[in-house]
Amino acid sequence: MCRVVPEGSDFAEGGREQMRGSFWGKKLVVDLTSGTHRVEEIPDSTAESYLGQKGLGARIIMEDVAPDTDPLSPENELVFSTGVMTGTIVSCSAKLAISAKSPLTGTITDGSVGGHAGAELKYAGYDVLVIKGRAPALSYIFLSPDRVEIRSAAALKGLGTFETDTKIRKELDDEDVKVLAIGPGGENQVLYACVSSERYRQLGRGGIGAVFGSKNLKAVAVRGWLDVTVPDIQACMETAAKFHEADGIFRDEYEIYDQGTPVLVNLSQEWGLLPTRNFQVGRFDEYENINGDSFKSVRKNKKACFSCGIACGNYVVDGDARVEGPEFETIAILGSNIGNGDRAKLIEMNSVCDDLGLDTISTGGVLAYMMEMTEKGVHDFGIRFGESEKALSFIHAIAHKEGIGADAAGGSKRMAEKYGGAEFTMQVKGQELPGYDPRGSWGMGIGYATANRGGCHMSAYPIEMEAWGPLDPFTFEGKAKLVADLQNTQAAKFSMGVCDFWPVASDTLAELFQVTFGGEWSGEKVEQAGERIFNLQRMYNVMVGFDNRHDTLPQRFYKELLKEGPPKDHPMTEEAFATVMQEYYAYRGWDEHGRPKPEKLTELEIEPALIQRYRTAAGL
Amino acid sequence: MPLKFNLKDCTGCQLCQLACSASHDSVFNPVKARLKIVHDYRGNDIHIKAARCIFCKKCEDVCPVGAISNNGRWMNVDHDVCIGCGKCAETCPTGVIYLNDNKKSIICDLCGGEPKCVEWCPKGVISLKEVVSR
Repeated sequence: MCRVVPEGSDFAEGGREQMRGSFWGKKLVVDLTSGTHRVEEIPDSTAESYLGQKGLGARIIMEDVAPDTDPLSPENELVFSTGVMTGTIVSCSAKLAISAKSPLTGTITDGSVGGHAGAELKYAGYDVLVIKGRAPALSYIFLSPDRVEIRSAAALKGLGTFETDTKIRKELDDEDVKVLAIGPGGENQVLYACVSSERYRQLGRGGIGAVFGSKNLKAVAVRGWLDVTVPDIQACMETAAKFHEADGIFRDEYEIYDQGTPVLVNLSQEWGLLPTRNFQVGRFDEYENINGDSFKSVRKNKKACFSCGIACGNYVVDGDARVEGPEFETIAILGSNIGNGDRAKLIEMNSVCDDLGLDTISTGGVLAYMMEMTEKGVHDFGIRFGESEKALSFIHAIAHKEGIGADAAGGSKRMAEKYGGAEFTMQVKGQELPGYDPRGSWGMGIGYATANRGGCHMSAYPIEMEAWGPLDPFTFEGKAKLVADLQNTQAAKFSMGVCDFWPVASDTLAELFQVTFGGEWSGEKVEQAGERIFNLQRMYNVMVGFDNRHDTLPQRFYKELLKEGPPKDHPMTEEAFATVMQEYYAYRGWDEHGRPKPEKLTELEIEPALIQRYRTAAGL
Repeated sequence: MPLKFNLKDCTGCQLCQLACSASHDSVFNPVKARLKIVHDYRGNDIHIKAARCIFCKKCEDVCPVGAISNNGRWMNVDHDVCIGCGKCAETCPTGVIYLNDNKKSIICDLCGGEPKCVEWCPKGVISLKEVVSR
């Protein structure tokens, strides 16, 4: 065991030098190759420009990780970043992001996870933790305000995330330690391996767990006890309380509390966009087995992340199966999308994926690809839609890379390169799609195609305004602007560390930022920061080699019509999609190849040195 | 008069602890709160435990200098008298008494009768009276 007390004397009792509001301005950099670490300053100006969490992660990856880096090499980095408001009483503000270059897509990626680990990192005295290099043997990091230790994880090798959590807390003899761990999936570098936080919260997407594995990093355990301060605590409490009340997010009738995300099953079914049997159809006969009411009927209790008054989490127990979840994405992709209408089986699959450390969305997408390939006679993988028990054994095979699992561990896009059937891979940039068929809400298609981490529903959520709102879901008119604006707002909100489930206005975010970080903020300034962050991530992807050719959707969405419900008879053609993408680029100030124009980046006040590096790499 | 907890409805958000440290110490730090929510995993099941002052007054009995008293509703610590021996914290059956940075005993004072934890609990779990499960 290597135990080192960080240099500097600011860990003395009573804290350290004054924070800038609730922002330490501190980055802990751990190099696993050399077993050393150091603390670096993060200037206030960086926080003002990139806010925190997602934005700060992107800024650090942009600076540190060359675009041609092999994502599974020691040169890739894991950047854990909190939001400025994390650790304060502002609800829903405790999310933690981990950014890296994704082994699944090759893009920049950032996953986000709730639970309590983000706040714990803040209480440990850091806004950001950067992990670089590769440990000589399987290890885990334990950090607290008075120590940074790289400890042996030899005894944890091959263990699931649940047992890893238990054993680390026992070894450290502290029930308050928060553990972010990978399972066999991450250790074996399955390209869509996830990271579990305190067992039941997952940072699912983009293969961050595989990057852990490539670094011989089994887990990060965090414990903090330092004060987080704000400029005026009374003003902070009052402002937070005012907006919690005004937005009604603590109320029982708030639907995300009542059912959690499974509330979306009925809506998706009604709108005929619930991904079913690999997105072949948009309605699932057995949806009532796996909808919000069904999961509510087996719910033991509600669970919240740190400082969250909503508590979207459902802890469910059905027979022997138990999980905190399942979230809507998991229900859609490991449920209807693989023809699985068995509630207990779905709970078990969710739990097994969490424990083995696999992203449920990509896992379901890969299974659905194999099922359709088998049914269409392209290649017999020995699994068909609805074969849930078999699916469970495939999930184990994927995590351990056994048999066909070794190929499936690379994701559907890579599988199709070997076995054919590219048309059955429901992915964008190699990342399998989440639970919304874009033919039922066309703006979601623009979001999928342009999300900086590949197929993803988090960059923008226009479905709320289309299928579930006032806008026509079956037109691209006005959608380029809509999606770009939503992406900017989301980028700002997530960079502030605020969860998606608080539908918060930018003006509100500005006021909350003011009472936590300090300074003068406006909704406009918040949105501009969001646009800056979105563009910064895009710059990185362009430097890697991504452009308009990659901003597309699976061919199925252009060529096959959904035959039931509202999307019926609304063809979303490839031509119309290409046209709206050009509209989108123009609105964003990008060229026709989807590359941000240097003058746009200057207007967004991105640092000249970064713009210069981008121009050189992109030949602009 | 101890705080009543309806733990069945507790979601483990710890806003109560944040409200407690903010109102007493002007900082956000759950470790400094006068109550504590713990997520307890048994097997793969999640249970939530809440440690808080149960008004047993054992701290008052054990204090060697008479710094701790009660008014029939909540405890009081006279920091001018407290010598920081820590006997109260050792004795506390729920483990929520601690010594602050100045080695003074910190015990729940119910915020003088209007507890901030009650005010901030988003799910109505904490009360000064018996609460009915929702």
